Parts: sequence; C-alpha cells; structure tokens
Amino acid sequence: MNPLYMIFGPVVLAALVGIFFKEDFLVKIISLVLFVSMLIWSVSMLDTASINSFSLLGTYIHCNLIPIDLTLQVDRLSAVMLILTFLLLILVTLSSWNIKSSAYFALLIMFAGPITGVFLSTNLIWFFIFWELTLIPMFFLIGIWGAEGRIYASIKFFLYTHFASMLILLAFFLIYKQSGIMDISMIKESMLATPALIWWLMFIGFAVKMPIFPFHTWLPDAHVQAPAPISVLLAGVLLKMGAYAMIRFAIIMMPQTAEKYSYIILILGLITLFYAGFNALYERHIKKMVAYSSISHMGLVAVAISTVTYAGLSASLFEMIAHALVISPLFLIAGLLHERTGSWYMKDMGGLMQKAPFISTVFVLASLAALGLPGTVGFIGELSILIASIQKYGLWLAVIAIGSIIGAGYLIWTLRRVIYGEISDSVKTSNFRICKTRVFALLIFALLIIIFGLFPSILFDIIDPAFQAFNHTGGAL
Amino acid sequence: MTNAFILFLVSAIVSPLLYRQGVLKLLALGMTLLAFGFSNTVIGLSGFENNPAVTLFIQILSAVIFAFILHERDEHLITQSLFLAVVSIALLQSSTLVTFIISFEALSLISVIITLGFNNSTQAQGAIRIFIAGAIATAIMMIGVSFLLLSGANLNSALPKNRDILTITGVLIIFTALFYKMTIFPMHNWAVSTYANISSDRAALLSGVAKSVSVVAIFKFFAPYLTNMSNEILLSIAILAIITMTIGNFMALFREKLSSILAYSSIAHSGYMLLAFAFVNSKYASSGILYMAIAYIFMQTASFLILDILKNRHNIETLTDIKGLSSYSPILSMFFTIQLLSLAGIPLLAGFMGKAILFYAGIDVGMLTVVLIALLNSALSVAYYAWIIKHIYFDKAQEGRKKYIDKSIFLSQMILLIGTILYGIYVYKILNVSIFLLH
Repeated sequence: MNPLYMIFGPVVLAALVGIFFKEDFLVKIISLVLFVSMLIWSVSMLDTASINSFSLLGTYIHCNLIPIDLTLQVDRLSAVMLILTFLLLILVTLSSWNIKSSAYFALLIMFAGPITGVFLSTNLIWFFIFWELTLIPMFFLIGIWGAEGRIYASIKFFLYTHFASMLILLAFFLIYKQSGIMDISMIKESMLATPALIWWLMFIGFAVKMPIFPFHTWLPDAHVQAPAPISVLLAGVLLKMGAYAMIRFAIIMMPQTAEKYSYIILILGLITLFYAGFNALYERHIKKMVAYSSISHMGLVAVAISTVTYAGLSASLFEMIAHALVISPLFLIAGLLHERTGSWYMKDMGGLMQKAPFISTVFVLASLAALGLPGTVGFIGELSILIASIQKYGLWLAVIAIGSIIGAGYLIWTLRRVIYGEISDSVKTSNFRICKTRVFALLIFALLIIIFGLFPSILFDIIDPAFQAFNHTGGAL
Repeated sequence: MTNAFILFLVSAIVSPLLYRQGVLKLLALGMTLLAFGFSNTVIGLSGFENNPAVTLFIQILSAVIFAFILHERDEHLITQSLFLAVVSIALLQSSTLVTFIISFEALSLISVIITLGFNNSTQAQGAIRIFIAGAIATAIMMIGVSFLLLSGANLNSALPKNRDILTITGVLIIFTALFYKMTIFPMHNWAVSTYANISSDRAALLSGVAKSVSVVAIFKFFAPYLTNMSNEILLSIAILAIITMTIGNFMALFREKLSSILAYSSIAHSGYMLLAFAFVNSKYASSGILYMAIAYIFMQTASFLILDILKNRHNIETLTDIKGLSSYSPILSMFFTIQLLSLAGIPLLAGFMGKAILFYAGIDVGMLTVVLIALLNSALSVAYYAWIIKHIYFDKAQEGRKKYIDKSIFLSQMILLIGTILYGIYVYKILNVSIFLLH
C-alpha cells in the first residue's frame, strides 16, 4: 500500500464525506472501517520496522533548490506510535457513537492523515507540516463539540501550541542551515554548529505539546472543555506526539546535547509530576482531576526520557502506552458522568457503583492502574521508569514513588466520593445506560489494562527494538 | 504579434463598448483565458523583457483576474480590472528605469480609478486617501530620480551599479517612495483606510492584485542593487518590516469590522514581504518573495471577494454579523476558512510555504532574531484569523439568515482556492523559476 494514500487519503476522504454525506451513521461506519484498516496496515509495518533503523517507504515530491522531498520512513518507534494512534481512533469512534454529526467524524478522519504523516515523515519540513495540520481538526472538534468554555479552550489550544511550533520551525531552519540536510535519518549532531540553541528551541516546542511544566497551562482547559472522546485523543495521541518528537529529535538525533541537559528535563519532569499531582489532589472538578492526573503521568514520561538510556526510553514508551490506556477510560467516564448528572463536581456524585456497576468497575480498574496497582499496566510503566531512573541518577530518584502516593491519594479519594459512599440525588435520578459501542470501547480499555499488566513482555518485545541504539546495559525489566 | 499585454489591452479598450450588451463578461473571460496562454510573451517595445518567474506570475495574475471577472457584476470594474492587468504586465516586464516609473505611475493611476466608484462619503474617504498617498509617493520618487540624473544615470537602463553617494541616495529615495505602494510603516495608514472603506471587490483588486504585482516588480528591479548594500541599510529595512508586521498584527487584533481586520492583515503581509529585501543576499530571498506574492494574490483576493459577497448578499460587515455563517452558508464558510488559514500560515496551504521559504532566507543570511520576531508575529496573527473562524463556526447565527452562493461565485472562489492549495503542495514549480527573478 502506498503510504501517501494513508496520509492524504483521509484528508481527501474527510472533505468528501464532510461535503456529501449528511447521514452520520454512514460516516461512523466509514471512519471505523478506515481506522481498522489503518490499524491493520500499521501492525503489518512492525515487520518492516523490525531492524534497528529506518525502513524507506518512499520518497515523493522533489525540488532542486531546497531538499523538501516528502521522505516516508518507518522504524519501530513510529510503528508503535501508529498502532497506538489507530487503536485509540477506533475506540474514540466507538465512544463517540452517540454524537449525531457527520462533520465530527469527518474531522476524526481528517486527523488520521496528518498524524500518520507526523510518525512517518523524516523530512523536517514535512514533519512540521503534518505536525501543524493536526491542530486544525482538533481546534474544530474542541470548539464545536466542547463544553461551556470550549471557545476559550480551543483558541488557547490553537494559539499556545502554534506559538510553540514556531520555535520548532526555527530550530529546523537552523538544522538545515548548519547541516545542509533535511532528513532526520541522516542528520548527525556533530554537523550542527549551535546544537545547544537548536536543542533548546526544540525542547521548548515539544515540551508544550507533551506538556511539561511550566508549558502545560493550555492542557487543563483543552482537556476539560473538549468532549470526552476528544480528551482521549488529546491525552492518547496529541500529547504522545509531543513525547514522540521529544524522543525522536531531542534525544535520538541529539543524544550528547540531551545528555548535557538531561538534568533540566529530569527536574522539569519531576516538577510536572508533583505539581500536577498536587493540583489533582486539590481539584473537585472530576475532569480537571483526570486532566491533572494525565499531566502528572506525562511528567513521569519526561523523567524516563531524561535518562537518555535504553531502559529509560523503553520505559517511557511503555508508560506512554500505559497512560493512554489508563487515562482514556477515566476521561470517557468523567464525560459520561457530566453528560448524565449535569455536574462536573464530585460532590454531586456518589454511589455510582449501586447505579452503574459496569461503568464503576471500569473506573475503579483504571484508577487503580493509574495509581500503579500491581497486575495493571500502570504498575509496569511506573516500576520500569523507577528502575531506569535509579540506574541512571541514583537512589534519590526513589522520590518518584511519592508521585505514586500522591496519585493514590487523589484517585482513592475520588473513588470514595464518586463510586462508593452514599448515593447522591443526581446519580439516583440519572440514567447511566449507554450504547453497546461505548460499552465495548470501555471493555477493550479494561482488557488491555489487565493484559499488558499481567503480560508486559508482549509490549516490551514490541517496543524494545525501538531503542536498540542505546542498548549498552540492558533493559529495565 | 499576439501577447498577453495586447490581449488585455484590447479587451480593456473594447469592453466599454459592450456595456449592457450582456457579452462583456464572456469576452473578458475569453480574452483573459487567451492571455493566460500567452503569458510567456513579452511586450514588443524596448525596455521590457520577460523571464520564467515573470511568466509564472503573469499566468497567476491572469487566473486571478479570471476569477475576479467571474465574481464581478459591475461592468466598469471589470474594465478596470483588465486595465489593471495591462499595467501589471507592463510593470512586471519593465527592465529600465523609465519603463518601470511609467508603469508604476500607470498602476497608481488605475488604482485611484478603481477606488472612484464610491457610493457614500466613507468610500470617498478611502478614495481620497489613496489619491493623496499616490501623489506624495510620485513626488518623492521624482526627487529620487533627480538625484539619479544628477549622478549621471541613464534612465534607459536598469538601476545603475555605481555606489556613489548620489546614486545610493537616489535609489533609496525611490525605494522609500515605493513604500507607499507596499504599505510599509510609516506610510501604511492610507491603505488601512482605503482597503477598509471602499467596497471589498475594489479592495480585492488593490490589496490582492496591485500590491502583490508591485512587490514582485519592486523586488525584481531593486534587489540587484540592494545585494551589496551595507548591513546597516539591510538591517534598517528588516526593522521597518518588523514594525510594519507588528503594527498590522496588533491592530488587526482589536478590530470588529472584517474589512479592517483584512486591511491590517494586508499591512502585516507587507511587513513579511519587505523582509525579502532585507534578506536579499540569500539565494532564497527571491524564492521567498515570489512564493509569498503568489500565495498572497490568491488568498487576499479571495478573502476580500468573500467579504464582498458577505456584504452584498448577507449584509455582513462585522464579526458580530458573521456569527454562525457555517450554519446557513457552509460552502462560503469553507472557502473563507481555508483562505484565512492560509493567511495565518497554516501548512499545506500556499501561505505557509511562502512564509517558510522567506523566513529561511533570513536564517541563511544570519538574521536569526529578525526571523524569530517574524515567526512570533506570524503566530500572533493566528489569533485574529482564528477569531473570525470562531465566529463562523462556534457561534450561533442570527435568525432569518439565508443561504446564498451562485455558480459563477462558486467557480471564482474555487479557482482561488485551488491556487491556494495547489501552491501549498506544488512547491518546486515556484522554486525552480524563482531564481530568474533576479536575472
């Protein structure tokens, strides 16, 4: 299959579907079929990407003056990110089944194109083009289908991340000026005259997307105001895009500079972990609590990335996947609670287990996974990061465990207030029946949390080859 | 001998005879199409020459004029647009000082004529401002020319290569006069008033077509002289560019009237384009300005023409009026949104690639800080473009609004949209010919 179809096909399809299809059911089916086929295609690429380097998929568009060839290459890291993306897109489509708008699903389809480009393009300028293009569908998805404060949140999201992108573009300009090469697979750190400046520009640009403290302020608003399935997309795909780019550009491409500034990433990662954790502890707004919990976990990913080691980077990729699987059902259920009770605040909830046992069970499972309960995917993620960090920085990095304790604090307290306790009036009077597709999506999340928690080697076997170049000492687990 | 210039000239002269006959539009469209085919021809007089970069720009000019004629109902304005094409070709192909100045004055004259079709005092105000600005610019230009004559320059050739004080002063004075046309700070105020106050279809011709033609022609004519200028002069140009774009972007943030927002956006784009003169020592500067001008002619003309439709068909002039446009006019909303995103510099649209190449030229000559400020300015501009899009899509419409779009308007907008999208992807076509801009 020509990979160009996978990038531009969804954009064209989205335009056609948006203009000609008014029947939302048909568009839902089209998007589901598309995402499933793209998932199968990305899984098939694991074979292509089995070796420790890029495999060329194709080069398109050529220009003599500037090497802006659209070069598409895949390695294990990008293949894993694609699988995660399409899996989440399928689950997001299923979770959005109650939304009766063909435009909404057309935008989801449109999102699939540039995100594929982000993970496959190795040309700096094309990477940037796809990176920026992902903003457009997200902007509309938040702005049109979001909650009360959607307009503020969508514009803040667009502007904040666009400003950050300008720094990335500047860094890319400098890379090309200094190395004369646009393809990241060929750029070596030693070719760059000002590696520190380039690294900092890229670091800030990608840190906004991840997000890392103090560049995170756009995310709580976007997360809270976005419709729940789009929050899943934000947490599961968009933030991962930031982490992916951080690993791809700031670590793999520039390992020496990254090593030099690894303490900065570590400290900012730790601040993010604790700052967001304390915010979540304070928060009474259920979706904001989940949003801060999400940011806190991304702080953990930043800590893992800061190690610049095989074990740390593998752990960061594992945690990214774990985070996506764990935080998504929490967002979906938080959104559902607001949809049915009309309130965002935990004080208006309580006793959900009595009224909606299935939803409550998934919420409990995801919460326990988020706080790192053994047997769940969250535990493996946090443990592998803890081990990799201690290996690199020493025993003092055991402070990460305090992050888990804070997590346990806000999550267990949330369970106490929302799931258990006395049944509240709003829960009592609300109907929590949801359509089968949404049940199915939650079920898939729950199963994956347990499967990858019990058999983490399935995931590690897939992701470990991504960082073989850093393998001098062996993996974390 | 048939050439694009003659075709446009003949159709412009003949067209008044066909007023109210019902065939003017057809003739104008036919002749424009023919002119498109003859874009590579040169005016058969001394002092004019062609090259592949100019040919490409004339092709694009013809396509934009074609789209304009499709859109326009005012027969006088169709004639004026044909005359504008005539002088634009002359200006683009002019290779000597005398043909450049005459063509430029002709462009100023036709620009004033375009604004003369006013119906009220506000529109008249816009027309008077452009007239005064044009007169001042001419006066300043004449001072510059007299300096050149004093230095012994031959007006029947390109700019002299001498670096004596009289020549440098003369060239810089002429260049400053041209800032009026390019709407550069501090000579930008007339443009805001004119673009915002005259009817939007006229503004489309002035802001979209006349300005981009002027910028390319000025670059083609002046860039060779600027290449070896001192860094201080190039830096001064860069500072003026930064001030112009910053003023344009900040002022646009606080406007309520859509035409004012686009007028200030046009000022900001002048700032971006002026950067090419500061980055002239980079081989990418000519690619940047050509790309930027091509992107600009499509997106700015399309945006002002959409404002014209909004005003005439929906009585929409302000942000408040445009609320919920997508609910009753989704196609028009889509056209407007894509053009606005291109103006904002969002990728895969021509506006992004134009800015990206232009800004890279800055990195190429080592003006990192200037590029950083320009990039931040570009990011800032997203605020007001996104704000318009927010009103179109995220807000509810007033009751009683009705859908409107006719076939010719759809086709006109489609041509401009294809241009914006095509040149966002079809990069190498522009880059490959851009090197000829300086030859």
